[in-house]
Amino acid sequence: MLTPKRRRRERRTAFLMIAPFLSIFIAFFLYPTFSVIALSFTDAPLIGKGEWIGLGNYAKLLNDRLFYTSLWNNFYFVLLTVIPTTVIALLIALAVSKLKGRMQALVLTLFFLPFVLPVSVVTMIWAWMLDFQFGILQPVIAAITGKPVPVFMNPYWVMPMIAVVTIWWTNGFNVLLLIAGLRNIPADLYEAAALDGATAWQRFRRVTWPLLWPVIALVLTLQLILQLKIFDQVYLLSNGGPFNRSYVVLMQIYREAFQLNHGGYASAIAMVLFLFIVVLSVLQFQLLRMGGRK
Amino acid sequence: MEDMGVHLQGVQKSFGPMKVIRGVDMEIRRGEFAVFVGPSGCGKSTLLRMVAGLEDTTDGKIHIGEREVTDEDPADRGVAMVFQSYALYPHLSVFENMAFSLRLAKRPKAEVTKKVQEAAAILQLTDHLEKKPSQLSGGQRQRVAIGRAIVRAPEVFLFDEPLSNLDAELRVQMRLELARLHKALGATMIYVTHDQVEAMTLADKIFVLQGGYVQQSGAPLDLYDDPSNRFVAGFIGSPSMNFFAATVTARTAGGITAQLDGQGDQSFDVALENPPAEGAKITIGIRPEHLSLTDGPGLRVAVDVAEELGGMSYQHGTLEGGEPVIFQQSGARHDMGGTTQTVTPEGGRIFVFDEEDKRIR
Repeated sequence: MLTPKRRRRERRTAFLMIAPFLSIFIAFFLYPTFSVIALSFTDAPLIGKGEWIGLGNYAKLLNDRLFYTSLWNNFYFVLLTVIPTTVIALLIALAVSKLKGRMQALVLTLFFLPFVLPVSVVTMIWAWMLDFQFGILQPVIAAITGKPVPVFMNPYWVMPMIAVVTIWWTNGFNVLLLIAGLRNIPADLYEAAALDGATAWQRFRRVTWPLLWPVIALVLTLQLILQLKIFDQVYLLSNGGPFNRSYVVLMQIYREAFQLNHGGYASAIAMVLFLFIVVLSVLQFQLLRMGGRK
Repeated sequence: MEDMGVHLQGVQKSFGPMKVIRGVDMEIRRGEFAVFVGPSGCGKSTLLRMVAGLEDTTDGKIHIGEREVTDEDPADRGVAMVFQSYALYPHLSVFENMAFSLRLAKRPKAEVTKKVQEAAAILQLTDHLEKKPSQLSGGQRQRVAIGRAIVRAPEVFLFDEPLSNLDAELRVQMRLELARLHKALGATMIYVTHDQVEAMTLADKIFVLQGGYVQQSGAPLDLYDDPSNRFVAGFIGSPSMNFFAATVTARTAGGITAQLDGQGDQSFDVALENPPAEGAKITIGIRPEHLSLTDGPGLRVAVDVAEELGGMSYQHGTLEGGEPVIFQQSGARHDMGGTTQTVTPEGGRIFVFDEEDKRIR
């Protein structure tokens, strides 16, 4: 049992230790969050006071066609990225885990390298590679479709191409998570399975998959949250076009807030996106966990 | 040949330039309980994994029954293995763990249930079939791992240090259960351990491995009574044998007279069929249980630590020259710590080794 005096002293130390984090968290996260919530009920510009208009912004949002377009594009983008990137990362992780020692480290580094690049460099690289006139990937596209395609100006190509860029950029991180998960599966389970007569597919299906499932669920959830927040790649590659076919929710928030000076309305959109992300990710994680337990 | 269980011929294993198994021949008869024993790093686990097919065989041949299996897949060898870590699938219930091999082979449901229930009954796991491995105690997990092997009804059971993760009491209990299981199933079993007590109590035949070779093989008591070199003599028996450097001072009618180096007047007559020449350097080995107190002349041991086990006590001490000695006393409370005692070996229980540590008989 701790004496009251000692317990008080420990509490003071504990508080002192978390104080730096707590103060920054309050100043730069909690306070702005509550400000945005408050702002979303007003018609305030970005800077300065506004009138309280209750749910006016939210009512306006319900009739905003661009909002529905952006929301749909967000979901389309999630569809194009979350599961594909997880599947690709899993395949790469399984292949890399077959390699040994330094070779494994080298290959892993190569796959991780794009993740280190800043988004502007990534989009620059791909904008050049896919450039309509000079892009080295245009012959490939021409070979498949018969003619070169200005991908970021084509309403059908723009979202899938941004998805490709995004997967290329962020995949290394997922590979890393899955490799860590694979390393956690004891080798003797595979040996026991081999002695029991399991084929390579059966070993994957009955040992690897169920034991890796928690990590796969984590990757899927992290990806869902990350990809719902898509902004940078769209802003830099297509700026939402053509015909708003790559216009996403964060882009609309950005435009309303910083270009049209509609602070209140932008806050309302942000709140809706925030709720979407929370509900979807919690729902998904719970569903995935249930799937794993079965 | 018909009662052949496992047969190894000139088996070798290298990892890159490292030779781990340097040429092993062994014959294990069908239904025999064979134990590989040796210090860590002696290659005993590697040898077992080669029999299982989990390690490639660099050279030599492995037969299980009549079949040569040197290049067969593990699954086709008719062996089942119990791992040191048990290697239970954490996401599957006890039932599914034991049924795993049958499920892979897509056996009919009724057969799976019957076989698993039978194995569970033998191992007293019937009440635990729905549990996950994490809900079981160490001993129960061990039994599930054995159950998984039983369900497959293999020709040969392989055990890789299966008891080393259990506490001492449970280890003794599981040791007994394994011995009973072997009697009940009558299958060939190969068991790897570094614990010579496990080896002595379980084995029909012990293989003492060291440095990639079989140093000696045979029934437990044959190894105890008649070790063929100093390593086996020191490894089998607990506490281990005392060794003293000595010199042959004379050849007698039926053997030699040997004098302990640095002990002045201490000399022993040892009966030998092939006595070494006079003046030869030898090592004398005497087991702790064959040293008894004497009032006459003998080895003077300054006892510093006495291990009192109740029915038995081990007196640890040194000779005048500083050589360590252990001798055994039956009963307890001898209060010998700090005293000097005189002990003498029982006649006929002195082993002699040459300078290459080979036994001189």
